[in-house]
Amino acid sequence: MMKYILTACLSLLLAHQAIAIPEVPALQEQVDKGLLPPVVERLPESPKIQSFDGREVGQYGGQIKMLMGKSKDIRMMVVYGYSRLVGYDDKLKLQADILEKIDVEEGRKFTLHIRPGHRWSDGTEFTAEDFRFFWQDKANHPVLSPYGPPPAMMRSSEIPRFKVIDKYTVSYTWKVPNPYFLPALAAPRPLYIYMPAHYMKQFHADYLSDEELAEKVATAKKRNWRGLFVSKGRQYKLTNPALPTLQPWMNTTKPPSERFVFKRNPYFHRVDPQGKQLPYVDDVIINIASGGLIPAKTGSGESDLQARHLRLDNYTFLKEGESNNDFKVNIWGTGRGAHIALYPNLTAKEPKWRKLMQNSDFRRALSLAVNRDEINQVVYFGLAKPNADTVLPDSPLYKEKYAKAYAQYNPAHASLLLDSIGLVHKDSRGIRLFEDGTPVEILVQTAGESTEETDVLALVKDSWRKVGVQMYIKPLQREVLRNRVFSGDAVMTTWFGLPNGLPTAQMNPQQLAPTRQDQYQWSQWGRYYETQEGEEPSLPEVQRLVELSNAWASAASAAEQTKIWHEMLNIRAEQVYSIGLISDILQPVVVHKRLKNVPEKAFYNWDPGAFFGIYDMSSFWYEKEAQ
Amino acid sequence: MFNYVIKRLLAMIPTLIVISLLVFIIIQLPPGDYLESHIAELESQGESVDPAQIEFLREEYGLDKTIWEQYFVWVTGFMQGDLGYSFEYNLPVSEVIGDKMWLTIIVSFFTIIITWIIAFPIGMYSATHPYSWGDYGLTFLGFLGLATPNFLLALVMLYLANQYFGTSIGGLMDEQFIDQPWSWDKLVSVCEHLWIPVLVIGTSGTAGMIRRLRANLLDELRKPYVVTARAKGMGELKLLTKYPLRLSLNFFIADIGSLLPSVISGAEVVAVVLSLPTTGPILLAALQSQDMYLAGSFLMFLAILTVVGVLVSDILLAMLDPRIRLQGGMKK
Repeated sequence: MMKYILTACLSLLLAHQAIAIPEVPALQEQVDKGLLPPVVERLPESPKIQSFDGREVGQYGGQIKMLMGKSKDIRMMVVYGYSRLVGYDDKLKLQADILEKIDVEEGRKFTLHIRPGHRWSDGTEFTAEDFRFFWQDKANHPVLSPYGPPPAMMRSSEIPRFKVIDKYTVSYTWKVPNPYFLPALAAPRPLYIYMPAHYMKQFHADYLSDEELAEKVATAKKRNWRGLFVSKGRQYKLTNPALPTLQPWMNTTKPPSERFVFKRNPYFHRVDPQGKQLPYVDDVIINIASGGLIPAKTGSGESDLQARHLRLDNYTFLKEGESNNDFKVNIWGTGRGAHIALYPNLTAKEPKWRKLMQNSDFRRALSLAVNRDEINQVVYFGLAKPNADTVLPDSPLYKEKYAKAYAQYNPAHASLLLDSIGLVHKDSRGIRLFEDGTPVEILVQTAGESTEETDVLALVKDSWRKVGVQMYIKPLQREVLRNRVFSGDAVMTTWFGLPNGLPTAQMNPQQLAPTRQDQYQWSQWGRYYETQEGEEPSLPEVQRLVELSNAWASAASAAEQTKIWHEMLNIRAEQVYSIGLISDILQPVVVHKRLKNVPEKAFYNWDPGAFFGIYDMSSFWYEKEAQ
Repeated sequence: MFNYVIKRLLAMIPTLIVISLLVFIIIQLPPGDYLESHIAELESQGESVDPAQIEFLREEYGLDKTIWEQYFVWVTGFMQGDLGYSFEYNLPVSEVIGDKMWLTIIVSFFTIIITWIIAFPIGMYSATHPYSWGDYGLTFLGFLGLATPNFLLALVMLYLANQYFGTSIGGLMDEQFIDQPWSWDKLVSVCEHLWIPVLVIGTSGTAGMIRRLRANLLDELRKPYVVTARAKGMGELKLLTKYPLRLSLNFFIADIGSLLPSVISGAEVVAVVLSLPTTGPILLAALQSQDMYLAGSFLMFLAILTVVGVLVSDILLAMLDPRIRLQGGMKK
């Protein structure tokens, strides 16, 4: 009986709490003084209620200290904060976040509903005007955007029709479906289609007299008003502390600085299941230190939440620091298809290399001649996976045959394949010869910032030598490497594998087809897709990939999309366009012992993931210290 | 004397023009430009930039102009006191460097003082007790400081300071004091951190100074006037400091030329390793990312300081030592 009464009391108490939303303690003083309205008025009429599935409701207070390598890295707070019009949750499902809801008709008409009463961090209401201002006065302004709206809003040179329906509703309509629109809004570097109009109008030529504008340009020491407007309105880079934001924390420090203080946004739109306004943590402090020192600083307890600049080989050192400091080291998965992959350049300049690299049996042979288990044991303590460059086991699209395709070490099979494509003769060193008598010596160019790549390559070099292929390793600076790939001078390079190793069928499969110049195995073909310059893909399988990628965009059902993904993944696995050397590498994540709601097991990935973003950093909280 | 100074000042102009050309060309020599290294960096983190945006930035930054136009814009701006615009920071160069300048000067100032405090007594002792155990032993210490790579010493000291004194790693103060007004606690925190870079950079400079002081002093101490003074019963300390020490200080004055720029630039590599908020790491990063106006203006600034420093030390030398002639070779 007693138990029932207690439960009843408790539920009454909870219900009562839900009605009277408690004020954020850190803001109480400002509210009492009348500088801020009380929390009920600061929240939108219908705030975003976070689902706390597997998470605990927390307490307010504290600060999270983090380390970054450069002062421009503060843009990561937009990534970690992950406040988006629509965003992924931790199950990678798209859902409305800033928006109350979004209606999609036929995949081409998007109606965006803003939460009435939602406010910018300075207290001004967030309305359709902010969307209109961006669309008319920024994205389509002849001076500010001479190249037109951002590419993610274009469907083959078609600009969407934008309409303000009422104060809280806007719509974008294309003639054909645009499956790229929502993922772009949810991206870690989001597509911004809104801007704080009330603030940015101060710097816009259409809203100012010439004298006023000239004066503002002069005081800001800019060359023209475009420069002024751009520098004041960097919503992603956060360099202007005065710019209102919708993120959980707002920057209060003007760069350059060694220490950036992010204070809580008093008008943030998310609440926990009890109705308490998020974020729980009052401040985020970002200290700038040189990248090389960050593992050491983290190991001595100078960061409360750190993954950036930490690598697997810091793990033992960090573990050692656990005993003396207040942090624990979690190990997260990463989301790239492969941690390191070799990219044969199918658009290499020299004809004989181009021909060889385009030969699928040659690529298969090279892949078979890599001893991935050895790499895993020697360099990664056996903690990684010796798989090919494809989607990871946690993706619903994963099949073991993709991961194992040509990934088993089999020098005999490799030799057979090499013999079969005419590389039969060998010189006195045992290196295979081209028909013109020159040896098959592959120069692998790599971005040599750490010794990790070169360590791995040294192992590959030995195993390739056994099948009669000689490798030379040349570390280069990243930008030089990039340009050498684009020009076709580099025959083979190393880079990460697929950018998104955890896709669902609803995500764009563009990464599998030549669609971007920075895909190092076919940069010219990718360039052709992007800008119609460069070369058209010449191999039938590659043409098929492009076809499939385009077909996905107009696919009607999830089943069809899944089918397209699998056909593409199958082609990739069979054709070995990139030779994955090692995958599923682990990422150490250092977390303060009392910082709650940080998942122990999770994925540390850029897109999708936004690093800490999809795990909702605004719900992280500090447990009070045990007295 | 007046004519001499005027002549030297006029000679500076072509020197600086040549330096500015060299600086600009060398910064432009590596393939690509700032935007390309910027894109490459973003890509390595998984981010990407759309091509139209890059075109826009290239135009905005004036990178689409020819190298000579860019040079001309930079030089004319520089002469009017406009140091240009840093792409990396999105700020005028003067604002980027300005903040860091005074911390750099503090570090350099203390470093120089420490170098002198260590080097002078050792140099004097070595010269007055040449070829003794003390001479060899102390000189050995000095060479040890010169021969140990600075960055290694810096890392070892960082570790020890963190392990035994609990000093936070890197930087010049505990993080809570950054950007705060000065207070006693902040001063203490700075002192806790300052000794490492000062000692590390200082030790590398001592060996050179010890050897030069010793050599100059030894030359002087064997001269007849010293022997005479000693024969007349002059005290050893006065004998040493009255003339020989002063005469052997010429090298010291001549050093000012190189001292001035090093006060501003700080020791780059040590500053990077120790993550000091000084100008050194900024210069290095600017060169790596081809942030050309930041790097160029900073190097130009150092060049001007060098040229001025050499002039100042020449004038000082002439004033201090009447034996030095301004017109070399005239009276031979």
